[in-house]
Amino acid sequence: MRLEALAVALPEVAGHPNRIPFEGVLTLVDEPSNRPPSGARGHRVVLTRAAAMTALPSLLGMGVDYTPGWDGHDTRRKCGIITQAEVEGNRLEVSGYLFGKDFPEVEEQMRRSNAGTMGMSYELADAHVEDMNASIWKLTRATFTGAAILLRDKAAYRETSFKLAAKRCRTIGFAAKAAPGRTLTEQASTERPRRLDGRNTWQSEKGKEARWK
Amino acid sequence: MEIEENNFQNAMNESIDRLNTAANLLERTVASLEQREAAMNGDMRKIVAAVEQGAEISQRELELERKLVAAEQQISELRAQESKATSVRKTLPASTAHLLAKGGITALESIEAGALDAALAGLSLEQRIAVKAQLMRAGALA
Repeated sequence: MRLEALAVALPEVAGHPNRIPFEGVLTLVDEPSNRPPSGARGHRVVLTRAAAMTALPSLLGMGVDYTPGWDGHDTRRKCGIITQAEVEGNRLEVSGYLFGKDFPEVEEQMRRSNAGTMGMSYELADAHVEDMNASIWKLTRATFTGAAILLRDKAAYRETSFKLAAKRCRTIGFAAKAAPGRTLTEQASTERPRRLDGRNTWQSEKGKEARWK
Repeated sequence: MEIEENNFQNAMNESIDRLNTAANLLERTVASLEQREAAMNGDMRKIVAAVEQGAEISQRELELERKLVAAEQQISELRAQESKATSVRKTLPASTAHLLAKGGITALESIEAGALDAALAGLSLEQRIAVKAQLMRAGALA
């Protein structure tokens, strides 16, 4: 299985009241959308793997938004942030935090809704279409500007998903499986949150499962 | 010697002219290809992967549905016509078809009673009855 990932390193804060971790499938790569996305003039679209990989860094730090009806985007209603993105198989998976204290209704909706009912939708800017006359537009270049949480049947891709993460912070999980030759206990006792600076504000390990060393 | 030089000069001039023409053609082709490529590619300022909430899609779907219904109706009509014509062709004996053709009736799908009587005027009563019975069996006469 091919896996490409990027993550923003945030310092850990135990029991942070405004950070509710989430994970989801934002979109599929190299697969046509099930329905035409908004802004595509009625065409279904396919985001190429190469375009998604190139645009992956633009996704980190972008906000997730929602509408009260859970049926679209409201870019001014940011209720969370994306801190990690990876392409696994043909799925572009993201994880991050919801601002649970500021938007209790979002957390409430996630806990109340049945499994599999919520999905995600990307927001792209400056998307380059290879052939505007094609029935399915192939996007060969784009910049992610955010994402929305919405009902799955309102998403252009039916196979998206969104849920609250089981773990408090997903980055701990990745740290735990990173260093070969060490036990998890040893590693956990010595692991310290990284300081954010110009060098390690994001980490990139292409083609590997281990992202932290 | 002088003549040879002149010939050589003429050939050179001709070649240069041809090369110039070819270069012009190439330039025009490149420009046209660039224009075509620019028209095919395009940048979209914003795309969001949520289903559009407008009427555009439902209108399109409705239009397609209307077209589909019309196409299906046309297909069923054509099928019905074809099967009727085929059955007439299959069940009408050659001698009857020949008789009718002699009387000027070639399109069996739309035989009018008056025209049929006129066409069969030269036949005996028994023959007329036989032909009409055959046409009725074939479904060409109601």
